[in-house]
Amino acid sequence: MYLALLELKAARGRFLLMGCVVLLVAALVGIVSGFTTGLGDDTVSALRRLPATHLAFSPDAKSDQFARSLVPAETLAGWQQRPGVQATPLGVTITRGTTDRHAEVDLAAFGVEPGSFLDPGVEDGQRLGGDGQLVISRKLAEEGVAIGDTLTVDRLGIALKVTGITGRASYGHVPAGYVTTGTWQAIRFTTPGASAPAAGLPQQYSAIALRAASGADLAAGDRELGTRTVATTDAYAAAPGYTGERVTMTSIQFFLYLIAPLVVGAFFGVWTVQRQPELALLRAMGASRRRLLGHTLVQAAAVVLGGTLAGAALASAVGLLVGTEVPFSLPGLALTATMATVALAALAGAALTLRRVATADPMTMLGAGR
Amino acid sequence: MTSLTLHQVSVSLGHGDARTPVLRGVDATCRPGVLTALVGPSGSGKSTLLAVAGALLRPDGGQVLLGDSDLASLNDGERAKVRRERIGYMFQSGNLLGGLTTVEQLLAAASIAGRPARRLRAAAETALDEVGLGHRLRHRADQLSGGERQRVALARALFLEPDLLLIDEPTAAVDREQAGTLTELIAHKARERGCVALVATHDPVVVDAAEATVSM
Repeated sequence: MYLALLELKAARGRFLLMGCVVLLVAALVGIVSGFTTGLGDDTVSALRRLPATHLAFSPDAKSDQFARSLVPAETLAGWQQRPGVQATPLGVTITRGTTDRHAEVDLAAFGVEPGSFLDPGVEDGQRLGGDGQLVISRKLAEEGVAIGDTLTVDRLGIALKVTGITGRASYGHVPAGYVTTGTWQAIRFTTPGASAPAAGLPQQYSAIALRAASGADLAAGDRELGTRTVATTDAYAAAPGYTGERVTMTSIQFFLYLIAPLVVGAFFGVWTVQRQPELALLRAMGASRRRLLGHTLVQAAAVVLGGTLAGAALASAVGLLVGTEVPFSLPGLALTATMATVALAALAGAALTLRRVATADPMTMLGAGR
Repeated sequence: MTSLTLHQVSVSLGHGDARTPVLRGVDATCRPGVLTALVGPSGSGKSTLLAVAGALLRPDGGQVLLGDSDLASLNDGERAKVRRERIGYMFQSGNLLGGLTTVEQLLAAASIAGRPARRLRAAAETALDEVGLGHRLRHRADQLSGGERQRVALARALFLEPDLLLIDEPTAAVDREQAGTLTELIAHKARERGCVALVATHDPVVVDAAEATVSM
């Protein structure tokens, strides 16, 4: 250990440089991880908040289900009669509106039944009570919408009175707002510029939210009622852009996890080649292979752990700096897991050079083996 | 006091058909406290003999007795232990670890031998002072002359009080005056410590100063 520290001190410039590279890779991984989580939250946090185990869509909607699926009220009634299942309608539509205080906002309108298990409740104000009311997510409140405001849906002229504020939730990067299913149907099925249809609005929903007890036969329900039921977590892929964003960000992370061991491995590879005469001298002086391997690992660990910890601090600082302006989320557990992966990958890269350390030949000091 | 005895030592180097005998049944004895010169033309096997005597290389046959221990019968790990605990080396070049100060060169050797290096700093400074480098304690290898580097190597080789001091061409990189001073210092230290001192050399200055000779 003492000798490893002596060497670290003696070559501190080189090790510091390598530590900086590890720091940058770790920080980049942390930042990308933060954006991955943040973008994911921004896309599906409203879906994550749904206390439903499954969502039943119309069978013809194979992708982008929340926009394409329409499930009639009869199907809802069928699901509500199935044993072991609680069912309530859900409507999801992205729209935009302007408040009477001239705040222009995008709105992911979630149509739910007041009092049902999808009722979001409120942190401030009053719960969703009836048609024409709107409970907004905290994110919309941060954009300037307040309790008591009237938000008019653009081009449709539907007025929504803001009655309460619930937790942060968004869908497809748009802040969520909760309305009754009747109001949602008005938003979803009214044609801009046209009067309301004489026959009334279609009694349809985007999906039926289910709370299924264990053992509930959802497949039989699908067969009987002509729906396509998926777990709520699987339905995240139906949110606009979710899959594409995940694939992109995860790919970047994957390549960074590849780069970390390659960079550290390359450094220690070059370092080991440069040190061959000194390693041979140490072997000649009686240093065992195990000791030299231990020294190299201690040095690698010092560089990798130091760089990773500093990278974690930098990524966290970036998270604090960007605040809520951009979708960035890096909880402690995610940061720890990410940094542990970087550290392990980097140490694996260093381990690739160990063979060269172990094979340093003390005979080269005498030249007798040449 | 420990002596070094080589009995019927044979070594071949290389692999397969290219394997060449370098030492054939060599016998030699080196007494403690005596500077012994190992002489012979280039290619005669001086370095190989040093490697065998220094437990760097296991001979194909024969005995290498350091006191009662036969180094030829030891495995790789056991030979490494002998090297760090009983043998001091001074090579022709590349003796010093880059970036370390002269004191740290000695402490590194102590660390390898499992000694409490941090507590030996004062002893290391004294050892360097004894070879005339008391004013170079904080200097790194690249800040020293060739002769000074060899004296650091000598101080390090003697620091842990070895039974055997092995030296390969110590004067190859220094001028005649420094060669004389360095040889005198080596002979003096060997006598003072009572260790076996075997020096492979072509230099008449060293040969003249040696009290015994092994010819190859």
